[in-house]
Amino acid sequence: MNSLWPVSVSHTQLTSINHQVYVHPTPSSKDNIPGFLALAKPRGATTDKEILVAWIPESKLQESAADFESYVKVDIKESGTPASSSLNLAETLVSPPPSSSFSSYAFSIPISDIFSLQVKQPSLGWWWGSITIHTRSKEDQLPPLYFHDAESQSTIMEQKRRNKKFETFDSESGSSMFWGGDHFIQVLSKYANLERAESDHSFLLVNPREGDAERFGTNLTGGSEEPSQLVAGIPGRGAGGDPVDRGAQVQKAFSDIRWGLLSNLAKVTQLTRKVSQGVWDSSPQPVKQLLMKPEVKKIGDDFDSARIYLAKWALSVAEESQRAKLKVLFDDELRELVSDEGFELIDAENNPQRRNEVSLAEWNAFFDYNGRLIVTVNEVKERIFHGGLAPAVRPEGWLFLLGVYPWDSTAAERKELVSKLRVDYNRLKKEWWVQEDKERDDFWRDQLSRIEKDVHRTDRNITFFAECDAKKDGDDDNYDKDEFGFSSQINSNIHLIQLRDMLITYNQHNKNLGYVQGMSDLLSPLYVVLQDDTLAFWAFSAFMERMERNYLRDQSGMRNQLLCLDHLVQFMLPSLYKHLEKTESTNLFFFFRMLLVWFKRELLWDDVLRLWEVLWTDYLSSQFVLFVCLAILDKHKDVMIDHLAGFDEILKYMNELSMTIDLDELLVRAELLFYRFRRTVELIDRKNEDRRNSADGSEPVSITEDLRELLSRKVIVVREGERPEGVMGG
Amino acid sequence: MNTEYDYLFKLLLIGDSGVGKSCLLLRFADDTYTDSYISTIGVDFKIRTLELEGKTVKLQIWDTAGQERFRTITSSYYRGAHGIIVVYDVTDQDTFNNVKTWFHEIDRYATEGVNKLLVGNKSDITDKKVVEYTVAKEFADSLGIPFLETSAKNATNVEQAFLTMARQIKERMGGAAENTAAKANVNLRGQNVSQGSSSSCC
Repeated sequence: MNSLWPVSVSHTQLTSINHQVYVHPTPSSKDNIPGFLALAKPRGATTDKEILVAWIPESKLQESAADFESYVKVDIKESGTPASSSLNLAETLVSPPPSSSFSSYAFSIPISDIFSLQVKQPSLGWWWGSITIHTRSKEDQLPPLYFHDAESQSTIMEQKRRNKKFETFDSESGSSMFWGGDHFIQVLSKYANLERAESDHSFLLVNPREGDAERFGTNLTGGSEEPSQLVAGIPGRGAGGDPVDRGAQVQKAFSDIRWGLLSNLAKVTQLTRKVSQGVWDSSPQPVKQLLMKPEVKKIGDDFDSARIYLAKWALSVAEESQRAKLKVLFDDELRELVSDEGFELIDAENNPQRRNEVSLAEWNAFFDYNGRLIVTVNEVKERIFHGGLAPAVRPEGWLFLLGVYPWDSTAAERKELVSKLRVDYNRLKKEWWVQEDKERDDFWRDQLSRIEKDVHRTDRNITFFAECDAKKDGDDDNYDKDEFGFSSQINSNIHLIQLRDMLITYNQHNKNLGYVQGMSDLLSPLYVVLQDDTLAFWAFSAFMERMERNYLRDQSGMRNQLLCLDHLVQFMLPSLYKHLEKTESTNLFFFFRMLLVWFKRELLWDDVLRLWEVLWTDYLSSQFVLFVCLAILDKHKDVMIDHLAGFDEILKYMNELSMTIDLDELLVRAELLFYRFRRTVELIDRKNEDRRNSADGSEPVSITEDLRELLSRKVIVVREGERPEGVMGG
Repeated sequence: MNTEYDYLFKLLLIGDSGVGKSCLLLRFADDTYTDSYISTIGVDFKIRTLELEGKTVKLQIWDTAGQERFRTITSSYYRGAHGIIVVYDVTDQDTFNNVKTWFHEIDRYATEGVNKLLVGNKSDITDKKVVEYTVAKEFADSLGIPFLETSAKNATNVEQAFLTMARQIKERMGGAAENTAAKANVNLRGQNVSQGSSSSCC
């Protein structure tokens, strides 16, 4: 350990700085720690190998304002010229953080102790690029460093410079835009010999010694001394990072099982290599070729470069997936083994069918004379999952499903509860109602205008919301505004006023999140069904618990669901996935709208109500909505593969499915896909168990956490962090 | 889908939520209008092909959601655009004040040299107008970009807005680069098609 921390760092010369490099200690963005990634030469250092690579959290530097400024200056000024500022790093480059400490992730390490860099390029909008430094020592695991380029002045400046010179895309990698990591690598390469690992292009070996390259390629999980560090940085660790090795594991995983025909190691090796390279080669290749052409470079901004951005995006999803080591399972040949013996059986065992909706009489029979449930909650949910509720049952049934009514309550208790909820809602409403104008800040006004705009255009085709006061003609040019700035068009329809009030109240009630576009779509059906603003408000608040993750400021909840769907498509529809890769559509962006408002825009009104009550049961999975998405792809996969040759075509096709979807058929398909999925996971788990028992030491085939989570009925709730001062609701 | 064309231009509509981006697009592409349009979630595009100075120009116009947190997604589309139309609502001062932010976004994400156009929509609501033509015009002039007031409802200037944009792009790509540019598009498309399904009709 000590060898990592040379004593001679008391005076250190900064040679290079990347600002806005973050450590993400937890998945929550509010825990992100901003800092500086620095190259620094300790006083007395004679060789480049002694140069330190260090990451220092901003907070540490802020203890010394002068240091902080120097860091920022080096970051900005540094443009190919050697930095000259000399400053004291002694306080900041201290000891390695104890692994249990949450507060400090600072580290510094001489180049000689770095084994490799694992480089993940960014994807615009969604993913930060990251670099993970793997040391030659076993004990030290350094956190991945995320480059928040959008916040980094120097990177933005460099991007602009390159834009002007049509060098937007790094000519070496062909498909990638300049990002903060490039800068770091560029500078580091002045001081160290960097070699791309043959077996995995995302790894750069630093000053590789004799044998390192080979070891990297063949011995990743073999418990050898140094390179084993590498595995730690890979999600789904232990599954092996190298084609040959992974092939061996797959071979072990499958050879002893009934559906395993994979006795030929060489064949598997070839398969997996093809697969892992395929990810790299498929999407960016056309882009690469194009960019290499001088005439394309010349007209840089003129051609269809949206595809490039989308390709980058798709690529990064593909890369994420590849890292999760799912790929091996998705090869057609492997898949067939599962489907032949697995799926036919499952399909025969489970023959999902839609049933009649639960009538009012049947519903009432679920309760005793006190209004207390006399069947199990699971039975009720199963019934609703397969049949839905008759319209007459919905006002009460939905309140149970959403958790406003406890399942074990009596009718009298519910009556009491409703009185209390009424008082509560009125109290919350009054809070903003009585506010003086001067108490209202910009956030409030901004949100108010957003809500007004959206209420104005939510479900106006439903008679409930369509009707306006006859005296007004509803024209935009004939409206007055009330004290809250709402148009008479809204004021002339009591239901629009109610929608507005509920949304304003929610905006106040859930202060951190506030109102976000799309929420009015979620509220409107609740209000129409319940026909009571108090109940609709509380039902909406309960619905929003699980939907909050769709609306987070950083959009991480949507991103994670799309990524999970990506994994699911790979797992369940490998041939379609290949086509999506080819068409640069693995971002699955066309599901954004469907997921954000749960198919509100794609289904007929009555079908929306049906789908939502089915999803609220969480009967098979709390994320059954992803299986509904999967079912859509399953249904249309042949058309997509045969006829749709680009991202724009697929997006158009998917957007135009709107209002043509047969919900019952879709739900049956989704349920079947769920059973197949569950069965496949079970099979893999059982094989893993067998192999563990046989103690042959082989690693299990891993299934990503997000996929496994799809088997859970527990609702995922992610809350928005505190709204920073001055941040608007946008 | 297999319409012949000389140019394929991608346009992008951006601007605050509720200024009428989708309505402008609906008017231009389908020549219809509805007072009770729905808010846009995600992205979508519409196509219209038109004749411009003897050339067939296919416009693929992308429509985006206006709320800020969804911009992380829409920014991916900026770079692909040949032209970007920034829309504000002439009856809503805030939406005009935010126009600066939108141009800033373009500078940040879009390709340098992309054609820009400023559009003040809802010009039919004359008695509620708060953003004066001269003020907006002055602002647009200071940036050196064209400006139009439109009404998606009355169809006023909508055609002109998109045509102005298309003409500008064609000009930029025309002249010396005309053939190269046109060919680049066609070639690119051709390559993509041939890489895709062989059963494609193109």
